[in-house]
Amino acid sequence: MYGLWLANIPGITQFKIRLIREVCPVAEELYAMSDETIAKIPGLEKADVCRIIESRKIWNPEREWMKLQEKGIHFVTLEDAVYPEKLKSIHNPPYALYYMGKLPDPEAKSVAIVGARGRSAYGSQVARQLAEALAHAGIAVVSGMARGIDTDGHMGALEAHGETFAVLGCGVDICYPKQNDYLYRHIPENGGILSEYPLGTEPMAALFPQRNRIISGLSDYTVVIEARTRSGSLITADYAMEQGREVYALPGRITDPLSQGTNALIRQGAGIYTGVEDFLKDLQFLEANSYVQSDFRKNLLEKDESLVYSLFDFAPVGLGSLIQNSPYGLSEIMNILERLEQKGFVKETIPNYYVKTI
Amino acid sequence: MYSMIMTSMLDGIRAVPVRVEVDICAGLPGFDMVGFLSSEVREAKERVRTALHNCGIALPPKRITINLSPANIRKSGTGFDLPIAVALLTAMELVSPESVSGMIFAGELNLRGDILPVNGVLPIVSDGCVSGVTRFVVPYANVREARLVKNATVYGFENLNQLLAFLKGEPYTERGGELSDVREKKREVDFSEVNGQRFLRRAAEVAASGMHNILMVGPPGAGKTMISERMATILPPLTEEERLELSKIYSVCGLLGNRTSLLETRPFRSPHHTITRVGLSGGGIGLRPGEISLAHHGVLFLDELTEFDKATLDILRQPLEEHVIHITRASGSVTYPAGFLLLAAMNPCSCGYYPDMQKCRCTPSTLQRYFGRVSQPLIDRMDICVEAPMVSYEELTGASFNECSADIQARVQACHAIQEKRYEGELFFHNSQIPAGRLKEFCPLGEKEERYMEQMYEKLGLTARTYHKVLRVARTVADCEHAENIRLKHLQEAICYRSIDDKFWGGV
Repeated sequence: MYGLWLANIPGITQFKIRLIREVCPVAEELYAMSDETIAKIPGLEKADVCRIIESRKIWNPEREWMKLQEKGIHFVTLEDAVYPEKLKSIHNPPYALYYMGKLPDPEAKSVAIVGARGRSAYGSQVARQLAEALAHAGIAVVSGMARGIDTDGHMGALEAHGETFAVLGCGVDICYPKQNDYLYRHIPENGGILSEYPLGTEPMAALFPQRNRIISGLSDYTVVIEARTRSGSLITADYAMEQGREVYALPGRITDPLSQGTNALIRQGAGIYTGVEDFLKDLQFLEANSYVQSDFRKNLLEKDESLVYSLFDFAPVGLGSLIQNSPYGLSEIMNILERLEQKGFVKETIPNYYVKTI
Repeated sequence: MYSMIMTSMLDGIRAVPVRVEVDICAGLPGFDMVGFLSSEVREAKERVRTALHNCGIALPPKRITINLSPANIRKSGTGFDLPIAVALLTAMELVSPESVSGMIFAGELNLRGDILPVNGVLPIVSDGCVSGVTRFVVPYANVREARLVKNATVYGFENLNQLLAFLKGEPYTERGGELSDVREKKREVDFSEVNGQRFLRRAAEVAASGMHNILMVGPPGAGKTMISERMATILPPLTEEERLELSKIYSVCGLLGNRTSLLETRPFRSPHHTITRVGLSGGGIGLRPGEISLAHHGVLFLDELTEFDKATLDILRQPLEEHVIHITRASGSVTYPAGFLLLAAMNPCSCGYYPDMQKCRCTPSTLQRYFGRVSQPLIDRMDICVEAPMVSYEELTGASFNECSADIQARVQACHAIQEKRYEGELFFHNSQIPAGRLKEFCPLGEKEERYMEQMYEKLGLTARTYHKVLRVARTVADCEHAENIRLKHLQEAICYRSIDDKFWGGV
């Protein structure tokens, strides 16, 4: 209750909260402390002391706490026992965490899946496949609910009924980006949406790199699927390495812009993501839960199907190009595509564009 | 002495009869013109007086009053100089009233007395004939245009003296100089020149068959413009009535030139994306027709759709539904026909590579912004939307047999005939115009087809509007095969043409 007060004093940053907690680790005590004692806390400036004293007068701890409860939002601080153990151990753990749904199970393993927002169709499929496999293995997927790879990770886990956690760079009461409304509504059902920022904090570019330390901090492994040279995902990877967590990166062609960030990580010594099976083995998870990749390739293709299939790539191919490069007419192509889709060889990513499945 | 001469004024592409009355009576010498005149008509006073003077005719020192009636219509245009001059000559008794009765005069004068060409002679002559006048005096430069109307007797003169001599009883001889023969430039484009792009060719044929508006999305240089330019060549030939209507529009704009026949080919208009609203809709000084009217019975092609001003494009909404445009301004209001096939082309994103994200440098937000530049109401009016893929070198240079425009045109024509028969007595003519309420009647689906559409509705997240569009296009696809009922494969094809929406830019 008093933690909420401490976390919401304007101008009192994470850094200053840490200074205060060195003297007085419990927020309730600070609330009860005399003005003079507060002024003596080393490192605090006069203005900060004034702010703390002022805010005590206006802030009604019970009422604010009730407000939070009414919205169905939970709140923990470093003082609480339920505060995630993994996060506690990082260099700069957030003092407060607001969350909807639940917190990650301290016993269970969790993997962060991060990557570019403008990712390729191939990266999207790899991320989804990994998330689904993790969900089946009972491993939670952590990500940032951004567009692109983050969304793929969450979606994969959700669809396989696994746990997934999203760490936001804004208040938990704000859905950003708006397109991810579906995730925002469904993640708390079997997982949680977390943020260190007070309710109503608008998404700001400056806040996002900070929240990445929580993503990696909550996870045992961080997998970077696709990243350009100066991608935010690389920040997450840096945090993960700082925090002593394993980092994996999906290798790619050296000419692909979306693989330059991940290849650079590999060069720095990150683990190489070579497929779901290998990854689960590294996690020492495969024996217990032998992963069976659904092998759609067992389905045989008809002659016309294999001809059309040969035109596909991991980059989306449009209907126009398919017709242009095959001897078939529109309705035949449509038939073949439908069969290929049913057999699981291709899928339609955006209207009239198809990619090979992995 | 009083005299009256008939002339005509343009109102849109119609000609309104106007009478020029002149009265010369004793009194203080003066020269007055009345009758709700715009400034160019008021200036006629000086031109006519000087022109007559230079032809050796002096106006009498009497009170001269000129009235253009009916007085409630604003008179604009430069065609009044000649009728005013003739009315003066008649009132001065230099010409007998009998020799000018039953004639319509139109033409501009210069100070020397030459008769200069004016715009809109075709509608003046054509509408004059409809109202029973058969003899016309026009500038010599407009003679050919005027003679496009059958049963009109047209006299053309180069200057006032020739006209005066004729009106005094001399037999008519064509004494003008050689008219440069502007033959209609034969459209030299043909569909056989388009290599590859089978999908696009097919879509273009379906669009022409059902008069569906079409949007092409593809990287620059894929051949979108090339196909569009050839679109007009596969539409059925113009009927006589359509040719006259179209020629009138061009006549009003002065674009008809000295042709010896009415316009034959369907227009292809491709305005630059910097076009203004007035340029597109029509209006401005003299309420001239805009690009949408010049594309009447033809193709309006908007290249680089995203570059057009959104507000400008929104102008198209009403003409697309009603096939006419009403222009109302302070200086009056006119109605121009504007029934065109809309063709638009755009890139998939600002860098052109979407959805290949390895090459595309666009972020999700720039993609959204790019999509935001497209006018959604306009996209909603696009029945067919197709991808134009890059053409490979082999396709470009390979010698392949391509169908020529005439063959495609024949099929399109057959398809139009089917529609004509089906929609006899209706207020619409083409599949693209079937009202939503009557789709059940004209596009009945079998049980199997019904089930398929139900599946697709769910799967593709169609809306009522997109669903209706698919049905209309499917009707055309079926008509292309002369099939009575819409079958599964027709629906499948129509589904491929469904329009793009934000899902397209939602990321792969």
